[in-house]
Amino acid sequence: MTKTIKLVGISGNTIEFVDNGDPMQGGMKDVYFSPDKSYVVAFFRDYDFNKNKQEYNNLKDRMLEIVTTKKDGVFKQEGGSYWTDLLCWPYDLVEHNGKLGIAVPAYAKHFFFSVGSRNNDFLGIKGKEKEGKWFASPFHFNKNLDPHEKGDWYKFILVCLHIARATRRLHSAGLAHSDLSYKNVLVDPTSGKAAVIDLDGLVVPGKFPPDVMGTPDFIAPEVLSTKHLPKTDTNRKHPNIQTDRHALAVMIYMYLLHRHPLRGGKIHDVDPVKDEELSMGSKSVFIEHPTDKSNRPKMADVKPSHLTPTPWPDVSKLPYNLCGPYLQSLFNQAFIDGLHNPSSRPSAGDWEHALIKTIDLIQPCQNKSCEMKWYVFDNNTKPKCPFCGTSYKGQLPVLNFYVKTPAGKFSYENHRLMVYSGQNIYQWHVNKNILPNERLAPETKKPVADFHFHNNKWILINRKLSSLIDVSDSNKEIPIGSSIEITDGKQILLSKEEGGRLIIVQLVNNQ
Amino acid sequence: MRRLPVYLLLDTSGSMMGEPIEAVKNGVQTMVSALRQDPYALETAFLSIITFNSTANQPVPLTELTSFQTPPIEASGTTSLGAALSLLAQRAESEVNKTTAEQKGDWKPIVFIMTDGMPTDDWQKGLNDFQKQKWGMVVACAAGQAVDTSILKQITEVVVQLDTADSSSFKAFFKWVSASISTSSAKIEEGGKEVGGLNELPPPPPEVNVVV
Repeated sequence: MTKTIKLVGISGNTIEFVDNGDPMQGGMKDVYFSPDKSYVVAFFRDYDFNKNKQEYNNLKDRMLEIVTTKKDGVFKQEGGSYWTDLLCWPYDLVEHNGKLGIAVPAYAKHFFFSVGSRNNDFLGIKGKEKEGKWFASPFHFNKNLDPHEKGDWYKFILVCLHIARATRRLHSAGLAHSDLSYKNVLVDPTSGKAAVIDLDGLVVPGKFPPDVMGTPDFIAPEVLSTKHLPKTDTNRKHPNIQTDRHALAVMIYMYLLHRHPLRGGKIHDVDPVKDEELSMGSKSVFIEHPTDKSNRPKMADVKPSHLTPTPWPDVSKLPYNLCGPYLQSLFNQAFIDGLHNPSSRPSAGDWEHALIKTIDLIQPCQNKSCEMKWYVFDNNTKPKCPFCGTSYKGQLPVLNFYVKTPAGKFSYENHRLMVYSGQNIYQWHVNKNILPNERLAPETKKPVADFHFHNNKWILINRKLSSLIDVSDSNKEIPIGSSIEITDGKQILLSKEEGGRLIIVQLVNNQ
Repeated sequence: MRRLPVYLLLDTSGSMMGEPIEAVKNGVQTMVSALRQDPYALETAFLSIITFNSTANQPVPLTELTSFQTPPIEASGTTSLGAALSLLAQRAESEVNKTTAEQKGDWKPIVFIMTDGMPTDDWQKGLNDFQKQKWGMVVACAAGQAVDTSILKQITEVVVQLDTADSSSFKAFFKWVSASISTSSAKIEEGGKEVGGLNELPPPPPEVNVVV
């Protein structure tokens, strides 16, 4: 019964799949593995050349563009190979028995559970895909997943960064994913990696209309509240780049806080279907809205077991400002200003920058058994880990970044770096003209200086900086291989070159 | 968190003895394992089993999937479909949380009814009880040729039929049930239409025929 089907793709290459009569079924597609399992062939179930030629040909036109020009537009640019890991892009097209199929790379190994659930994998999910939903709810995160699968808070920041970056790339090519959700993003919190999948739904604005509305939890309010209108009505809102931005904000919130930003206690209708539509659609309210508190989650609705070890559902214990000032401000923009005003939503690039800056604010928790291991240092007088409550003890240098204005003066950038032992300085800290993204050469991604707490002193060791200057000590040069003690008020120039940053040290002391 | 109540009504009359009843037990077991591996279903779906032969019983009340255990099921007696519908209505009334002004309730229950014969009791009375409540998706499955599907059609629009009541058909049916419970991306529907009926479910496998 099992047979290998050999076809020729639109590229002229051979595409094979193993037909065992029992394909994996997605929402729209039947999926078969290639004989070596390095790729899959996914056939669109609801489009049949023999039943509706026009629909089929429209789909074929759209897929053709995705596997050729759209794909080349992303992958054949400078730094294009960077996207192979982040965007699981269909690369060939086949036709078989009146059905259209796409060849898509198989997912990388780290996107499958190596341990799975608790208690010797009581759910039997070892070897299954790490669908994002497993990491986005307090029930799964607190009760079901094995600790080995949960990564730490730093890794979740990296996961979000990869998702934001992949989304930014699609959007800058003018493409909307149209169904961005934890179903269509694979995440690996043990490594911080993420990949956007199901790219066959890509929407080219004005050219190809979307065929899905999205996935519940991620559908933008304006799409839900106009879904009763005919498809062709100009007031009907379809998925586009702005609705992707809503989905992206929801996803970042869910991966960092393991709860949904709009699912609170407010009731709009006694009919659950209508209530759902209103609470995610026209009447949606951010559960942590600073002034409109009507949708705060009710702790009476939460099972006590979902609150341990970490009380994710409790917004009073783990408010969103634990994500730090940059993300807090984007959450406000996404869920307050932009919730019902799509053009005000933060872009994927905004998220990417805010996440990168947030990485500079995080500190390892001093409690070795802390579940999340890292947290944003809130710079108040008594900093403590929001997850386990352990206070920070000791001296902590905070580096405030300054850049030269055109007038030649240094001005503060609203960007700082929290120091911990082993913390690194990278090129993107040294020079404001260097941004950490896919265009950086591998050599530029390496650390250039690092911090250590040594003999009760904080020191910075220069590894690669050609013009590191101690401004507070009569502009003394710190040569490569030597170190400088970090003290309160110390001013250090990281580079004399154009765009080089000045740091001013602030020493926080907690005994 | 809204729960999605799922009621399985299983015919355990004498005619199910042997291969069919074993296939049903395996089917339930496989279905629960599959649902536990789906993070959406695991979080939302709560499952209850109602069996019916000479009487109707609820061996498993609405239960979280992680603690669900397949009950012992024996086949014997007649086919009290009416009693099963009445019991379903009564149990759902007490187990399913209603939304009030203060409290978010559950989703409307989804119901799967599987029978291999003609009802032997006053099924009309059961139907009346059943119709007094609001349900989500209701799917009736006629296992084999001995069922008058027109009776099932009065319970729900969505009626499917298995050609034979053998283990491979039951396996396919329960796999489909499990896929139906796991939701996938909402397809864009033409405006003004309620989403419902078979369109909302994944396509049935070849063993499961849709009765029009």
